[in-house]
Amino acid sequence: MAKIVLTVDDSPSIRQMVAFTLKSAGYEVLEAVDGEDGLNKAKGKQASLVLTDQNMPRMDGLSLIKALRGLPQYRSVPILMLTTESSDAMKSAGKAAGATGWLVKPFDPQKLLEVVKKVIG
Amino acid sequence: MSSSRFVLFTLIAVVLVSLVVWLAPPAWGVAAVVICGLVFAWIGSRHGCTPSQADRGTEPPVPQLRENLRGLAEEQKKAALDNSAGCGDDLERVKTLLREAINKLVASFSDMNEHIQAQRNQALSIITGMAEDKGSGESGNFSEFVLETSRTMESFVESTLTTSKIAMSLVETMDGIDHEVNAIIGILGEIESIAKQTNLLALNAAIEAARAGEAGRGFAVVADEVRGLSQRTNLFSQQIRSHMDTVHGSVSNAHDNIYAVASMDMNFALESKHRVGRTMQRIADMNLAMAESARSIDGHANQVAEQVNKAVTALQFQDLASQLLDRARSRVEDGARVAREMADALGQAGDPAAGLDRAREILRTRSAEAARAQPSVAAQRLDSGDVELF
Repeated sequence: MAKIVLTVDDSPSIRQMVAFTLKSAGYEVLEAVDGEDGLNKAKGKQASLVLTDQNMPRMDGLSLIKALRGLPQYRSVPILMLTTESSDAMKSAGKAAGATGWLVKPFDPQKLLEVVKKVIG
Repeated sequence: MSSSRFVLFTLIAVVLVSLVVWLAPPAWGVAAVVICGLVFAWIGSRHGCTPSQADRGTEPPVPQLRENLRGLAEEQKKAALDNSAGCGDDLERVKTLLREAINKLVASFSDMNEHIQAQRNQALSIITGMAEDKGSGESGNFSEFVLETSRTMESFVESTLTTSKIAMSLVETMDGIDHEVNAIIGILGEIESIAKQTNLLALNAAIEAARAGEAGRGFAVVADEVRGLSQRTNLFSQQIRSHMDTVHGSVSNAHDNIYAVASMDMNFALESKHRVGRTMQRIADMNLAMAESARSIDGHANQVAEQVNKAVTALQFQDLASQLLDRARSRVEDGARVAREMADALGQAGDPAAGLDRAREILRTRSAEAARAQPSVAAQRLDSGDVELF
């Protein structure tokens, strides 16, 4: 059974590109338009990996990570940030919130796949 | 007016404009320059220090000038807000256009990728098993098929040649049989001739016996028996001859047929063998060329997939561009807000100097706020970003 990856981004094209990249490698992809939507979808279906943007309306990426880490079923699920933010301060905040890794946009589909494979196989 | 006051006002105006141009984001610049101009004109006129007015010596009343200034500030505020709204709408439209176009592009690329993958799989299946025979459950590659056909053809030609050789020797055997049959027929002639002579002798013996009278009676019986035997011999001989004639006819027919088989052109079989061999070689060559083409298709498909990856990376400019557009929009809105606040401050203040101070304070505060705002878009180029695992 295909592993489920939840991609959270307010940009439809980024979601589409992430989905296109991961589906071609056999993953199942769930899409959410912001942090709140992402949190609801994560509760609804257990994902093996969460890939989230930082700057989004309603709930941003860091808040989503904190919320997910508060859920028992997401305590050890890898969460990757995929954002335009690249400052060290933001990265440390992400690390402190419980992010597994940090990817700066734009992403190279091949590199994204490599990272995803490394994290969840 | 005193020229020192005019110089002072000019100086303040210049400093203010420089400050605005230096501190404020570009969108605010125009608004701020207009406001400073207004302030300068207002203060100058109020203190009666505009050079032209001083020269003319006809000074409009202060309350009217203040009213003019308020009107101008209002107009300028309205223009700034209108421009900001129009600019915001345009930016939003650009964002929407970009989003729609990029979504379509991404969908096309993902479609393209699927087709390319299908093409690759086809190419790979050509390479791995060209002559896979699903019906018979036998599988093997095409070169094996060619080899097998070649072998079958060879054994067919071999057995044809063997058949021909056997037929030749059969023809010889048939010739021998024919010869023997003719010899038997010749011997039968001899037997018939002997039977005839015996018959004649018996007849003579019977005549001599009759002449001898009673003494020859016994001899006449013997002569009669001998004659009967010779007649039976003749009858048998004729029966044998009739059978031998049939044998001779059959052997002759068999001889003709076997001769036809033996004399069939063996070159035809040999030529066929060569022709099939050449065809098989051509098919094997074609097979190799096809496998080569399939490998090349596979290579091209790989390259297309790589280019699609690059395109997907590049298309993410939409996300970056839309964040930048959002920021530009909020800057324009900020500019309009500052213009509005400064115009309100100037318009509402009873004392022009206090209004100027307030306007300046607003400009400084907003400029400082704008400078503090961190840029959220790190990427300056469309190369893929860093990856870091904690």
